[in-house]
Amino acid sequence: WKELSGCQKVTRMECDFSSAITEYYDTHHVRIRAERREEVSPWSSIFEMIPYCIAQIGPPEIELQSTNGVIKIKVSPPEAKMWINPLNFKYNLVIWENSSSAEFRSLSIFPTDIIDDLAPDTTYCLKVQATIPLDLKEGLFSPIHCVKTTHKAVNDLVCATNVSIFALNMKFHLHWNNQYKQHVSYNVQYLMGYLKKLYDDYSMKWLNVPRCENITDTQCNFSSIITATSGFYYLRVQTMSEYNKSCLSDEVKVDPLITNEIGPPDVKLDISDVLLHIQISPPGASESDFMRDYYEFSYRILYWKNSSNNEEEIKMKEIKQTIGTVSDLTPSTLYCVKVQAFSELYNKSSHYSKEECIKTPGDKILPLIILATFITALIAVCLVATTLVFALYQAYSKIKYVFFPSCQPPLNIEHFGGQLFSSPYLPTAEELIENCSIIETIITEEVNQIDFKDYKHSKQSSRDSGNYSNDDDTSGSKVSGERVEKEIV
Amino acid sequence: IMNALGLIQIGLVLLCTTTISSLQCNHLPLQQRKVIKNSLQLLDKMGKKFPRQCLREKMSFRFPEQVLNPGQKEIVKVAIEEIFQHIFYIFSKNVTLAAWNGIALEQFQNGLYQQIEQLEACVVKKQTHYFQSKEVNRLKLKKYFQKIDCFLKDKQHNLCSWEISRAEMRRCLQLIDKVVRKL
Repeated sequence: WKELSGCQKVTRMECDFSSAITEYYDTHHVRIRAERREEVSPWSSIFEMIPYCIAQIGPPEIELQSTNGVIKIKVSPPEAKMWINPLNFKYNLVIWENSSSAEFRSLSIFPTDIIDDLAPDTTYCLKVQATIPLDLKEGLFSPIHCVKTTHKAVNDLVCATNVSIFALNMKFHLHWNNQYKQHVSYNVQYLMGYLKKLYDDYSMKWLNVPRCENITDTQCNFSSIITATSGFYYLRVQTMSEYNKSCLSDEVKVDPLITNEIGPPDVKLDISDVLLHIQISPPGASESDFMRDYYEFSYRILYWKNSSNNEEEIKMKEIKQTIGTVSDLTPSTLYCVKVQAFSELYNKSSHYSKEECIKTPGDKILPLIILATFITALIAVCLVATTLVFALYQAYSKIKYVFFPSCQPPLNIEHFGGQLFSSPYLPTAEELIENCSIIETIITEEVNQIDFKDYKHSKQSSRDSGNYSNDDDTSGSKVSGERVEKEIV
Repeated sequence: IMNALGLIQIGLVLLCTTTISSLQCNHLPLQQRKVIKNSLQLLDKMGKKFPRQCLREKMSFRFPEQVLNPGQKEIVKVAIEEIFQHIFYIFSKNVTLAAWNGIALEQFQNGLYQQIEQLEACVVKKQTHYFQSKEVNRLKLKKYFQKIDCFLKDKQHNLCSWEISRAEMRRCLQLIDKVVRKL
């Protein structure tokens, strides 16, 4: 507990301890007791407070200037160390006509502002309070100031009127009218929005829009000064007539992403057998992906069958991607599509694109024809190939047979001499004579062998299994029989 | 008496609140995300890398991070607006000694101000008793910015004090960026 300076030995029932407060955001506890000579009362209950919260905002200072049918006002913030951020203040102006049946009008103003839409040659009274909206604080009103408006100068005939903005796909154009068309040139100026919030005089901070200086056309393309996320701007037109007279038009406010209109997207259609593919190019895609990034487009697709009787219902589909597909199509029909881009984020939508139409292919005949043709071709190729291979094989085997024979003559005529087998088709009369005598002896022995063969066969027929082992035995004996014959020869 | 006065104040504000045009208050966080990203880029573009010689003077300001706890949306939105307002104020002061890129600074301020305006319209509408309960964190926030303000004044807005403040504000924006993604 410390002594509160400014509240020591006070005789009145109030004291000022402002100087003792330095920490505006800390909780302070205050207690008080009474003293009389040597006696002291007990301490009162503790009074808890946070300086910032209980402090009231004082009245602001205002300067007024009445010119040209409007009232120019300049507000200075209430001075206090407590209010470290004077830009926190939002000023609330209350204005009324100084007549009996006066209506109070309340509006929010900037520190330097102009109050127009007032009747000329009338006395108005006004008062201003500073508020901190975030802290729900409302300050005290300034004293009431009354001022009389002047009449509007004739000069205003020169001024540009109907200043309006046309913005499509982030291309911004300013248009205005002027009754007085002779010998005038225009200067379009812009001001960054935040400058109005500051207490400094911003009248010198208006800048000329490039390529819109000293022009005679009543329109200006000011896209060059706009960058999407750099907040909003004010625009005005300065008209300069001969004799160096100039006049400033009303201001218009441009909030790029909000003022901008979204153009329709580009649509390309593609059809496969059962699906219609819709390719969408987002609006403004040709220049940059910028709009797409900020608006986060979704697309609304309308599609319908374009037949002679216009009773076909229009179907709708919403997608987030840039490719949409439509299924359940009827063949040989003309389908038409149009697409709209919309941004849920900014609650904006474009116009519908141009209609694009495409016809679905016919029935399944064409694919069948293709299939049939393919199969036929396949078969034909196979046939040709097979024939070719077969012919080649035949030729090969014939050639091999003629020029490279592989068969061996029987063993019993082998010893007739080598020259016999060099050309088997040539007649060999001499060897025949010798053969006669040998054949005779062989025949007599063969008769016995035939018996053996018959026996062998009968043996085979009577038995089903184990033939081979038995056969080997018999054939073995047979061979030995043959060998015996040979020796005799 | 103090409480009554406070209640009257609140009552007056609610009474005097004029009809505000319907802004996309629901979509504000989504819009904000892009703007904050852009603001961070501009903040970097404004000056060069943090100068080595200023490291000695670096102070710990202790930003009250709990104020951005994504508990209740409305409270966080109020906190974000307060932070934006303070940042806007800091950068509106005499920055000539910092020798920053003037265009980047202007665009940064303009973007920030647009956000403040949008938030104001959305937040003020809904403020009721929420404000009272979470006042402690908001006061800590005000203290934090007061510290930075005093720091700048003490150093007479020299280059190092500006660079330190810029780094600090960058941190604030990054924290906001994180929170806004969750909103």
